[in-house]
Amino acid sequence: MTFRQFAFNNVIRNKRIYAGYFLSSAFSVMVFFVYAIFAFHPNLTNESIGSQVAIGLHFAESIIYVFSFIFVLYSMSSFLKTRKKEFGLMVMHGMTNRQLRTMVFLENMLIGFFATIMGIGIGFILAKLLLLIAENLLNLEQSLSFYFPTHALILTFAAFIILFMVISIFTVSVLKGNKLIDLIKGSVKPKAEPKSSVWLSLLAILLIGSGYVVALNVKGAAVSMAMLPVTTVVIIGTYFLFTQLSVYFIKKGKQRKGIFWRKTNMILLSDLDYRMKDNARTFFFVAIVSTVSFSAIGSLVGFKSMMTNIFLDENPFAFEYSSSSSSNHDEHLLILEAALDQENIEYMKVEAVMKDVTLVDPNENTTIVKLSDYNEVAKAAGEKTVQLSKNEAIQVFYSNSLIGSANEDNPSVVLEDNTNLQVVEKVKSVTLPNFTSYFVVEDVLFEQLKGEKQITFLAYDIPNWQETEAIGKMLTKDWSASNQKEFKFTSLAYDMYVMNQGYSAIMFVGLFIGAVFFVAAGSFLYFRLYTDLEEDKKKFSAIMKMGLTEQELTKVITQQLMVLFFVPILVAVVHGGVALTALQRMFGYSLLTESILVLGSFFLIQVVYFLFIRTTYIRNIKSEIL
Amino acid sequence: MNMMEVQNLCKVYEGKVAYRALTDINLTIRQGEFVGVMGPSGSGKTTLLNLVSTIDTPTTGNILIGGKDPHSLKINDLARFRRRELGFVFQDFNLLQTLTVEENIVLPLTLDGESVKVMDEKLAIVAKKLGIDHILKKRTYEISGGQAQRAAIARAIIHSPKLLLADEPTGNLDSKSAKDVMETLSTINQKDGTTLMLVTHDAVAASFCNRVIFIKDGQLYNEIHRGESRQVFFQKIIDVLSLLGGNAHDLSTIRV
Repeated sequence: MTFRQFAFNNVIRNKRIYAGYFLSSAFSVMVFFVYAIFAFHPNLTNESIGSQVAIGLHFAESIIYVFSFIFVLYSMSSFLKTRKKEFGLMVMHGMTNRQLRTMVFLENMLIGFFATIMGIGIGFILAKLLLLIAENLLNLEQSLSFYFPTHALILTFAAFIILFMVISIFTVSVLKGNKLIDLIKGSVKPKAEPKSSVWLSLLAILLIGSGYVVALNVKGAAVSMAMLPVTTVVIIGTYFLFTQLSVYFIKKGKQRKGIFWRKTNMILLSDLDYRMKDNARTFFFVAIVSTVSFSAIGSLVGFKSMMTNIFLDENPFAFEYSSSSSSNHDEHLLILEAALDQENIEYMKVEAVMKDVTLVDPNENTTIVKLSDYNEVAKAAGEKTVQLSKNEAIQVFYSNSLIGSANEDNPSVVLEDNTNLQVVEKVKSVTLPNFTSYFVVEDVLFEQLKGEKQITFLAYDIPNWQETEAIGKMLTKDWSASNQKEFKFTSLAYDMYVMNQGYSAIMFVGLFIGAVFFVAAGSFLYFRLYTDLEEDKKKFSAIMKMGLTEQELTKVITQQLMVLFFVPILVAVVHGGVALTALQRMFGYSLLTESILVLGSFFLIQVVYFLFIRTTYIRNIKSEIL
Repeated sequence: MNMMEVQNLCKVYEGKVAYRALTDINLTIRQGEFVGVMGPSGSGKTTLLNLVSTIDTPTTGNILIGGKDPHSLKINDLARFRRRELGFVFQDFNLLQTLTVEENIVLPLTLDGESVKVMDEKLAIVAKKLGIDHILKKRTYEISGGQAQRAAIARAIIHSPKLLLADEPTGNLDSKSAKDVMETLSTINQKDGTTLMLVTHDAVAASFCNRVIFIKDGQLYNEIHRGESRQVFFQKIIDVLSLLGGNAHDLSTIRV
């Protein structure tokens, strides 16, 4: 048996021990590969929205890579920890430090290599499935067909072989074989009692508190300025929250015999306390990772629904048609109306005439609308109508939460012939497709004005506007060839469809990354749990012999798992809630519904995950003792 | 009064090849007795103890403890029965690492929902009795093996059990600590009248008992009673063990 054979056999014949580490490595390879297939898809990068989406996709890919790195590193360190005793035995029998390192390196490379192959293999199968989902989710016309992902394949393989190599070298370089006593005692050696300092605990409260106060109070553009310092402060605070404050509270609880010496509390709390040092880092990581995915998904969902709502608010009509010259005007309207009739779609047509008039200063001009026209359109759009008398005008301005308003104060308008119109009211409206302010005047006055240019605006109000997508698409395409300066045609349903396509791609990426992070957080917890499984089995079997009912056993384990699963998530939900509140300040748009939806669904998934893990864990423990 | 009665006890381990660990065991332990169970490896000592301690269930036959059959109890009542009526001492102490010595000792009472005041009182009494009152606040890895075993004994008797069961309590201890522990158990038996059943390999430990039962191949082999002198009793035990098989010096190094 050569040394290399020894290292090889060590892995191959101990499949079960290595399975956890192997599967989690294969899992990260798979996620990366599936994602790469998606990111390199030729159809996706060729779309009109492609270039931007592609950049986003590749950026996300690098995030996943960084994450994979941390994930594999963590899995490996917890895997090596469980093997400390084995290493100690080998060192005791004369294995040199160098040999130990060579062995660990070879093992890891072996596992890494096969994990990469397996991850890619499973990824292939999953990719087909995922591409189908993406196709339906993205509403993309051309189907995202399965293709042979040469790029993705090479990238994934190279990236992970490098990753495993770097991690192996790194791990091996910090592996100490000379402290035999540590290795042999390994996990048997009792963990030191974690210490907590009152000052650091207070600091945790202070940091998180001040971060929250700032985040909840800054407004507008200051939000983006405050984002980095607040995030840093809160992250540091969260670290101390788990490493100091929680230990401090558990310690206080333990000192009170009335609480600590009550039934199963003793088992639960003592365990929490001793595992807190290990758990704190897991909790911290899970909380931060979950917060990031909450905030990212929350703001994406919020941003999309904000854009959709603004778009719908500003476009009350299914079709809008405006033209300055009448060359194609009648013909176009006939085609549109014929198409609507053919589809049996009911519509209501409103018309408004706008005149561009020169003001007393010959360099300035403005748009004027007739009162009766304005009121007709406003009524159809569901906005309020206005009243006017002679020589009065109403200024109509446009504003939305993204752009802000183009709202200048004009007390009066003086026309070319020195007619002075008093501005009696300012109204915010989106009915007419004009992004600068314009004025509404009385009908009689309007007829007398001679405009340089007269624009006729036609709007079709259709309650079931969603059905008009096909017509909108056809006409937009047909007419895009003709002279665009003479007329403007917009179809709400079709514009909406184009917009959704763009956002869906971004949403897909966001959700995918969020889901990956969330699953990752779950896997961390799972790892944490299973490194403690053996110890728990031993502990509970000792207590069971002393007399612990099954219900009490279930209760203790459930409480223990609940802490593990819900404490970090709860912190993440609170953090995420504050982050989303700050974001909604920045957008000036309420993200409440979206926040509740996102945080709620994550919480629900966590509950399901918890119930699943709890059942298997309890079964696992019971199988050993009962 | 009989504290424990074992009637026609059989235990068969199912598997690809069924293995009969105990055959037709009949045994009675009276209240206040200190009984040792000895036998070569694989003879069924620990199986017997596990059946008596309700950790394992018999294939056929009955076990009565204080006139009751614990194996007829429902699983949760059984757990309560264990923590109220029985006390255990294990070879590897089974103290919980995360708890201090005193917390380990009060654990059975804690699980039963006893008030803190009562627990503190009982703890003080039992700790004084076993001479471990100065290490109560220590962690389990800060104390010696003998102290750990005495802490485990304190845990086993704090709730005044009817029957105290010990599985190789001296197996992990040096001879001095082993003697301390056995003397402690002996004192508990004599002063408090606690009934004790001890499974052991160690002839020295067994010599502290009133009566030693020998098991061979899952069946009762012999039983000897202690007279006045422990030294004589020890020699008798060694004699039976050498009859049981092997040489006398295989079984124990002579320490006394």
